Amino acid sequence: MITIVLSSAWTQGGQTRFEAREGTLREVLRDFAASRPAYRHRLLDGEGEPLGYFNVYLDEEFVPRGERATTPVRPGATVTIVPPLAGG
Amino acid sequence: MGEMVYVPGGEFQKGSPPWVLEWLERESQPFPGEWFRDEVPQRPETVPPYWMDKYPVTVAEFAEFARDTGYRTSAERAGRGMVYGSRYWEERAGACWRRPAGGDAPGTAGYEDHPVVHISFEDANRYAEWAGKRLPTESEWEFAARGPGFRIWPWGDVWKQDDANTAEYHAGALHTPEQWRRWWEAVCSVSGPMPQTTPVGAFGPAGDSVFGCSDMAGNVYEWNSTVAHLYDEASECDATLRAVMGRYRVIRGGSWMNFRYQVRCCERMYGDPDGWSNFATGFRCARDT
Repeated sequence: MITIVLSSAWTQGGQTRFEAREGTLREVLRDFAASRPAYRHRLLDGEGEPLGYFNVYLDEEFVPRGERATTPVRPGATVTIVPPLAGG
Repeated sequence: MGEMVYVPGGEFQKGSPPWVLEWLERESQPFPGEWFRDEVPQRPETVPPYWMDKYPVTVAEFAEFARDTGYRTSAERAGRGMVYGSRYWEERAGACWRRPAGGDAPGTAGYEDHPVVHISFEDANRYAEWAGKRLPTESEWEFAARGPGFRIWPWGDVWKQDDANTAEYHAGALHTPEQWRRWWEAVCSVSGPMPQTTPVGAFGPAGDSVFGCSDMAGNVYEWNSTVAHLYDEASECDATLRAVMGRYRVIRGGSWMNFRYQVRCCERMYGDPDGWSNFATGFRCARDT
């Protein structure tokens, strides 16, 4: 399993860390959105593909937008999703 | 280019005192307490005298810069900009400072005295360089907003809905994201997702800061030059906020999109400096004496 970390601004004070299945980053985000539909509109476009506006850090390493489809997320990894405007 | 006010500099306790966080947790607002822990503990700061733009940079001022230099903003080069659509943020084709809501929406005719939006960190710096100015540091921004003594908003500690351009100015008191969404849907149904900016200085002098700076609460988010950092590395704050430290740049002042709590003088936000902007992000400049 892997861990996905979301902003409190998205969860409104609720759970911010989630377990999810490993895979490519694209697969991870799609699977997560399928299991947590409340976050789907923040993560996926109308065709179900990951949106590009947010930043993704894999174990604190930035993953460039163009590499997300193929970047592997291995068991035990942490994926942190950060909006381009953070805080507030 | 851009009226400036002289800020005499001084010593102050940057950030929020503990009672502000306790007050925020008691208030009817949607964020948990840890969300605001990046603005504590207070830390002593000394700022030398400087000049600060009285207003955010306007559409007309930015247009003069673009005409003079041929500069194309990050959003213009990317061919898209961030706009809050009917449900959430969207990357809209053609959205940029010239056309804030995107390709088919109205342009900026009639908005010349409004703050310019869709401004990236690079765009702000390029304008400032052209104007012979620079972006303010975070300490300069906060000092210009609140002066040497603590105050929640530029005018004081009592919220005044009609003295700043926030979502509450347009919609009335807001307490939940759902209330905000209903207001925004109503706006979009009438005018599309146009930024609800107001002419700079429209809320002065009542809404001005101690030093006479206008629009430091709301209207547009304002870039600062300071790299995101915690006042205390040991602060327990949101994990995604910790992720931006050392990466993003500080943004201050909140915007027309926000509730009263996001336009406080000590409220901290952070923007991705790598070409990102949105339809509520602008800036003002500072200059050394």
